[in-house]
Amino acid sequence: MKEGNILSKKLIEVVESHGINRRDFLKYCAATAALFGISQFDFATKVAYALESSSKKAPVMWLEGLACAGCTISLTQSLYPPVSSIILDKISLRMHDAVMAAAGDLVEAVYDAQVKEGGYILIVEGAIPSADDRFCKIGGRPFRTLVEGAAKNATAILAVGACSAFGGIPRATPAKGISVSEALAKAKIDKPVINISTCPVHTDHLVGTILYVLTTGKLPELDSKGRPAMYFGDKRLVHDNCRRRAHFDAGEFLTDWNDLKQKDWCLFQKGCKGPMAHIDCSIRRWNDGINFCIDCGGVCQACGEPVFYDQVAPLYTTESDSSKNIWAMREAGTFKKEKA
Amino acid sequence: MAQKITIDPITRIEGHLKIEVEIENGKVKNAWSSGTMARGFEALLIGKEPRDASYITSRFCGVCYSVHQLASSRALDAAFGANVPWGGNLIRNLVMGAEYIYDHVLHFYQLSALDYIDIMAVANYSGNDKELLAVKDKIVGLVKAKDTYPLTPRYEPDEFTVKDPDIVISAVKHYIEALKMHAKARNMGAIWGGRTPHYQNIVVGGVTSYPDINQVARFRTMLDEQAKFINKVYIPDVLAFGTGPLWPLATMGVGGGHYNYMSYGDFAKDASGKDLVFPAGVIVGLNPADIKIDAVDQDKITESVKHAWYKENKPVHPYNGEQIFKLDKKDAYSFVKAPRYDGKPMEVGPLARMIIAKNPDVIGLVQKGAKPGAVARHAARAIETRLVVDACYNWLDQLLTEMTKPGFKIHDTEHWNPPESGMGAGFSEPPRGALGHWIKVKDKKIENYQAVVPSTWNASPRDEQGVRGQYEESLIGAPVPDPKNPVNVVRIIRSFDPCLACAVHIIDPNTNEIRKFLIE
Repeated sequence: MKEGNILSKKLIEVVESHGINRRDFLKYCAATAALFGISQFDFATKVAYALESSSKKAPVMWLEGLACAGCTISLTQSLYPPVSSIILDKISLRMHDAVMAAAGDLVEAVYDAQVKEGGYILIVEGAIPSADDRFCKIGGRPFRTLVEGAAKNATAILAVGACSAFGGIPRATPAKGISVSEALAKAKIDKPVINISTCPVHTDHLVGTILYVLTTGKLPELDSKGRPAMYFGDKRLVHDNCRRRAHFDAGEFLTDWNDLKQKDWCLFQKGCKGPMAHIDCSIRRWNDGINFCIDCGGVCQACGEPVFYDQVAPLYTTESDSSKNIWAMREAGTFKKEKA
Repeated sequence: MAQKITIDPITRIEGHLKIEVEIENGKVKNAWSSGTMARGFEALLIGKEPRDASYITSRFCGVCYSVHQLASSRALDAAFGANVPWGGNLIRNLVMGAEYIYDHVLHFYQLSALDYIDIMAVANYSGNDKELLAVKDKIVGLVKAKDTYPLTPRYEPDEFTVKDPDIVISAVKHYIEALKMHAKARNMGAIWGGRTPHYQNIVVGGVTSYPDINQVARFRTMLDEQAKFINKVYIPDVLAFGTGPLWPLATMGVGGGHYNYMSYGDFAKDASGKDLVFPAGVIVGLNPADIKIDAVDQDKITESVKHAWYKENKPVHPYNGEQIFKLDKKDAYSFVKAPRYDGKPMEVGPLARMIIAKNPDVIGLVQKGAKPGAVARHAARAIETRLVVDACYNWLDQLLTEMTKPGFKIHDTEHWNPPESGMGAGFSEPPRGALGHWIKVKDKKIENYQAVVPSTWNASPRDEQGVRGQYEESLIGAPVPDPKNPVNVVRIIRSFDPCLACAVHIIDPNTNEIRKFLIE
């Protein structure tokens, strides 16, 4: 049977409007219809009807302030699903300075039109300057006002990366970066914010949260710091699942990166803050599981915690308040795991 | 009558950039480049433990991540007196090689290609290639759904835009493939870097990642896949565009600028450190028929703040710089300062490196009539990517030899702890060009920190003499027949691969007196 006999022009339009090509659609219909013993035409019609009555791709606006664009690069790190499928099939990326074709006035026009239309997911990368608006301006407008304006009509707000979630490194600079939550509170805008911290945001955390919101139409459960509980939380500790954990308990600490014997020992003396990082990095790892900070002999700086960066510094010693706390907790037996 | 137009924001770059141009008779007559975001990282670093610098400065930029980690670690190496073992340098080079490959591929496809193709031409594709038909279905589907974000809105295609459906559809297919390839290149770097963006393994004295043979094999296998894409897709695409539909832009030399070029030189091919992948040099006023290259003398670097938001000061070397922030200053229009070499603005980056290296492929294009400019910049970037790939293979071979010798080292453990006092400079040639970090240590703390980064050179405003920065100069004469559609302006600016988060460093708005960066 020929395509044209099965799919009317209208059906084709509906199917394609969801970014599905008709060849794939027909293959799927033929296989499924055969399985259920119904005609391919009936099945195709029913699916197309369902598609038509479902919503269109969710609009997303991404704003970047006091940031390094590392979180944007983290988004483009997604291979499964590929980022092209996220951007073209799953969301309608209305605004993203680093991605969009438009420039200049066209960007401003897109921003104004989207804010007016409302109903989008707002993603903010980077902190908001609180010392002076002039520390970050886009199209002549203060970044602060762009965030406030976009937040009002957003259906969900994601603060991605340490800077927008908690202020991160910009908090310690003269621009005095503040988080999205703080900026909205100052502007008296009462909206929930999902904090997807770490520096930069973890690709899985970002993509997973977007997919969760798109799939369920709801915000995910959050921990006490407003972070998705599926990735962060009081009971989730880098330290508990660290492959070097036994060496921490045994008091075997790496002092020389050249020494093969010490290669897998605990990095506490090099400044590791894993025992205070409530993130799932040691299980999930980074870059499709290839590696993560601690496994490359580098140290965890608890970059997903609000204390990052000020209170974890100095980074590569045990002299920070954070390291002193960790040691005190070790001595008190706080990290010991016993059956309740 | 000249007409002034403002493009703000310039998109598909890193950071926040505003470009203003004055147009007369369809051409750019004058131009101003402004960095519009600042955090003030250097001020943050004052008083901190010196080793924090490499971790913090990595966050200058998350696109060219870890290039500052490397330059900063080199400045610390010098200040601490650390000697990085060749094994440590090999791993530093390899993870930076992975960064290069990803960054250049991302720049051409994701950040630039949309300036040169009419993506909607894919609808006219009439061939039978199944993969290309799938691309056509995808784009046509978006159009039918009346939702073509983020591919539109856009500046309208002009006379130089490629509209041939066969070329465009293959470019769009490669755009999608490139997204996967540069994600994989970052995974390759993570084998030793730990994760991306922002590697975790580069520290003062070397690296933290003790390699094993499986990792070498894994890196090599992933490098094979990258090499194939670069040689079979990326370089052919750039050359096909550059010598085909964009040849008129190339021969017109659109986006030329001052024709001054500088490279600090970087990436030793072997432990002797004599033979570099990218040689050092300075060219003032390029004459393609007779290329004269001078040695770089770092004492000749100065920075002017005449047109930047800092208190008036005469141009001084970064070692002796004083920066006092002044947001309301008259005649200032950028957070970016104006570095000069021997008083002259310089272009840094792939084109500078390839001309200074007298790369035969790039020189060959010039001899055929391509003038150094926007198109040549893309070609130089693609050509040097291949040099980096070749170097990575060489470094992998050496690493395998080194790591199987007794006493193999990746780190100078003796010099891990900060000295009472010290000073040092760290230089590098990351993807966007010449990068320098300067540090002074006192009482085991950072007394002063200064970075002069590639985009500071390229994006700088005017200097004391009113001489334009390289972006600004490169825009002069660019054809802009329709002021509402200044597509050539963004083509030129994007050809430099701007990184504005890197370019801007400043200071304290409350006291108006930030810090003195005084390094004798």
